[in-house]
Amino acid sequence: MIDFNKLKQLMSDILEIDINNINKDSGSDNIEQWNSLSHVQLVMAIEAEFDVKLTPDDMFDMLSVKSIIMILEERVK
Amino acid sequence: MVDIIKDRTIETPASYAKNFLEVKRLAHQLKSINIAFLSSYTSEVLNPYIAVELSRYGYFTKNYFAPFNQFEQEILNQESNLYGKNPDVVIIHNMMEDMYPDMVSNFSKYSNSKLDIIACQVINRYKAILETLRGNIKASIIIVNFSMLNSDEESSIYSTIKQRKVQYIHKINQELLLLCNGISDCYTINYISVVLKLGLKEWIDRKLYLMARIPFSGQGQMEFGKVLAKTVYSIDNHPCKCLVLDLDNTLWGGVIGEDGIGGIEISENYPGNVFKDFQRAILNLRNQGVLLAIASKNNFDDAIKVFRKHPDCLIKESDFVAMEINWNDKATNIQKIAAELNIGLDSVVFFDDNPTERQWVSDKLPSVKVIDTPDSPMMYTQALHECNYFNFFSTTVEDKGRNEMIHQSQKRENLGANSKDLDDFLMSLDMTVSIKLSNQDALERVSQLTNKTNQFNLTTKRYSTTEINNFIELGHLVLHLSVEDCFGSYGISGVAIIKQQDKFSWKIDTFLLSCRIIGKKIESVFLSEIINFVKDKGASVLLGQYIDSKKNSLTVDFYKNHNFLLLDNDSNTWKYDLRLKPKIIDFIKIKRT
Repeated sequence: MIDFNKLKQLMSDILEIDINNINKDSGSDNIEQWNSLSHVQLVMAIEAEFDVKLTPDDMFDMLSVKSIIMILEERVK
Repeated sequence: MVDIIKDRTIETPASYAKNFLEVKRLAHQLKSINIAFLSSYTSEVLNPYIAVELSRYGYFTKNYFAPFNQFEQEILNQESNLYGKNPDVVIIHNMMEDMYPDMVSNFSKYSNSKLDIIACQVINRYKAILETLRGNIKASIIIVNFSMLNSDEESSIYSTIKQRKVQYIHKINQELLLLCNGISDCYTINYISVVLKLGLKEWIDRKLYLMARIPFSGQGQMEFGKVLAKTVYSIDNHPCKCLVLDLDNTLWGGVIGEDGIGGIEISENYPGNVFKDFQRAILNLRNQGVLLAIASKNNFDDAIKVFRKHPDCLIKESDFVAMEINWNDKATNIQKIAAELNIGLDSVVFFDDNPTERQWVSDKLPSVKVIDTPDSPMMYTQALHECNYFNFFSTTVEDKGRNEMIHQSQKRENLGANSKDLDDFLMSLDMTVSIKLSNQDALERVSQLTNKTNQFNLTTKRYSTTEINNFIELGHLVLHLSVEDCFGSYGISGVAIIKQQDKFSWKIDTFLLSCRIIGKKIESVFLSEIINFVKDKGASVLLGQYIDSKKNSLTVDFYKNHNFLLLDNDSNTWKYDLRLKPKIIDFIKIKRT
């Protein structure tokens, strides 16, 4: 199981948004601060915090909380 | 200084992001510095790393990242955002892969002559931007040099093409270094050395490179952030002048008083080579102009024997400018050393293996920089290099000669003890003072003196080379002085800047002498020459000001003693009627050029 609170905290720190504004429907289309630069930072942070190696495809797909969790669950086994 | 973040372990991008938020909250407690970053890639990704690492040194950075690959537009266009941001530091880092992508990917198809043309182009492009930048703003410039890493394949170590590439980049970097050395306040970072700290494999993240053109991994960004922060800090801070060393278990293994000259460890083999290595590192510092001194609890005769007799002791007695080998406490000894060398305690660094001594010195003399010596002597050299108290950037010729000059000055003092009267003594020195209008060649040293001189400095105004150059161009009088006596030459060791106020009056903006030449009445000669200079310009009044800096009390009565009249008590401004004859010091010869 992926620690959702850990992910939320991570996103809050990197995107500089209130943790309460992050939920399972959050994504780059409804969080203004989630731009191409912060996306890179987010991906790097996720790799280090969840101890996974992500592929270019993962990075490309990880543009929402749902897809991040889905990909992480697949990688963290 | 905010100590909250200083020693915190921060190892992941996420913890950098978290700490970055805290740094922003603490910004008001930190010294702010504006950095502009011009690069061929999305350098903005470095922001949290540079900011957090600089906060450890007490800085808050407002970073400006120019749009990628627009370094030339930003610099050449006077109206650009770069200039609007008023940067204190400009960092330029371009990747060959972005500047000449075809050359990098099809390197083997390029003939030598074609490559030479590109090399020339690169240097010319840099020459144009550096000269424009230097002419437009006074910011310090940091250039990160070139590499061709991203195109490298692991298996290509044996390939001649790869070797040609390395040599080619090396050649361009050499030219670049030469170019940067010719630009004032411009420093270079050797990129490949930074990469080596982590290793190429860890440095590059193909995914980040291919998808976002970011040339380094998260790990790489952290490492690079550290290097950039350290560089900015070193440039902005005045390096320490003196390293005070302990002896036993510091310069050699063991205790000389107990083990004797045959029993201490210092040799070509382990464990003696550990200390020999450390001695080499210390000598390197000395060669860069750092003064060496000893504070050791020992019998003088025991300890000095090592320097005189031990074949493997690389450091010699003459490498030290002061030696306090006795049983007094080390704080007292360090104070004595600083007084003897005429330097402030804040420019003294103390290295001792004994934690009690370190604590004692820290408590008694909080402004002395005490190195947190590692337990293992094997780590001594690294601790010395990582302490950041010494500046490894530009060493002027004067710096390198400082050790020799201090030695000569000690000879002079010994002579003083035998002289009856001060003037007699000064006369016996056979001094010649040369006073010159400063030009391009002297800019670096003149600026350095304004930044380093504390004691004999009437206004303590700090100026960059660019500012000094501007004064000259504006027609102000910028003079520097050098001194020679029977023992040798002191080099450029005095500066004066005099600004015209109106048709008849000039004002002394800066008047300083390096501590090496204090107490020889040279200041009177310098002032009388200034008086002659402004008289020639048709002036009738010379003004001067004394600004108290807590360190320059030596000069508080300077104007009074030279027949100036107090004009304004609040601003401590003095006035000299140029019809008066200046004080004449007949035992100093004057050379005007």
